[in-house]
Amino acid sequence: MAEEFNVPFPLEYGTYEDALKMIEVRGERKYAEFTVNWEMIKVYCAMEEDANPSYWDEEYATKQWGGIVAPPGLLLTWGMALQWHPNKDREHYFVAMKVPLPGDTLINVATSTEFHRHLFLGDRLSAVDRLIEVSEEKKTRLGVGHFLTTEAEFFNQKDELIAVTTNNMFRYYVPEDKVPEDKVPEESAPEEKAPEENS
Amino acid sequence: MSEQTTSQIAYKYWDEITEGEALPRVEMPVPFERVILDAAATQDYFPGHHNPAYAQHQGQKNIYLNTMAIEGFIDRVATDWAGPHTFIRKRSMNMRASIYAGDTMVGEGTVEKHYEQEGRKLVDLSILISTQAGPCVPAQLTLELPCK
Repeated sequence: MAEEFNVPFPLEYGTYEDALKMIEVRGERKYAEFTVNWEMIKVYCAMEEDANPSYWDEEYATKQWGGIVAPPGLLLTWGMALQWHPNKDREHYFVAMKVPLPGDTLINVATSTEFHRHLFLGDRLSAVDRLIEVSEEKKTRLGVGHFLTTEAEFFNQKDELIAVTTNNMFRYYVPEDKVPEDKVPEESAPEEKAPEENS
Repeated sequence: MSEQTTSQIAYKYWDEITEGEALPRVEMPVPFERVILDAAATQDYFPGHHNPAYAQHQGQKNIYLNTMAIEGFIDRVATDWAGPHTFIRKRSMNMRASIYAGDTMVGEGTVEKHYEQEGRKLVDLSILISTQAGPCVPAQLTLELPCK
């Protein structure tokens, strides 16, 4: 079922052993589709209702930082693939989405980012990422699958380090016999508890 | 616009912050529109963020906010309090429960540590993002701030 949903943007399928082969293979540097632009910054800040003048007020931002800066939370967005391109196939930007595993879905679990400098309007981001760890199969309240740990370094067009991110994602499937969570009786013993789960 | 907006912004300076200080609570409803706006604003069209049937297939109740939306809200809780002169040095977060369309999210925080390192004036915060269903995303931030 999820494969149908994923048709426009499929995951890679394979075994745990296939996934392990990808560990520590450093990816090629990939360049962001979007240059840092004020319009996307404004849309993001509207979504967050964030009035920070570093993102909205040219006079303030220039005095404080030397220009309008990108919100740190937009770091991953600059590299997102367009839904269609005349000359390129749609491709997942991050290695975590390309790891061959049995699970037909995924959810992000934890992320940690160190920021070294701001991104400014007109900057073009590039990133290099790699898979660091794949857990053995785990059973959580969402399903059965593997935790993937990846690390990514982000640079601007001057090759200056912008940020380093470590991310933990759960790639899983929902077993067919899984009782929906709201139908699980209160007294039933939980399965192995997920360390944490979400988006 | 800028004058009015800027005049409402708070500015905290490193030397006036104390450990244990509580940050003002920030509350924001998350209607369907905001979840769809999130997918568009962050260019993240993973179907769990826009397709309720897919989200349910994943074992989720409904479409939910992505990592970048939660990151931005955590950062906003910090910078609404500390001011736009804040440089966020580090942010770590654990997503323990999803934030669904129809929820209201609330951010609360505390100053955990106030210190200097390699010439930088730093403050560590703990921030918790919750909904009416309970705690969802605990986070830790390190901010760099100017002195008065």
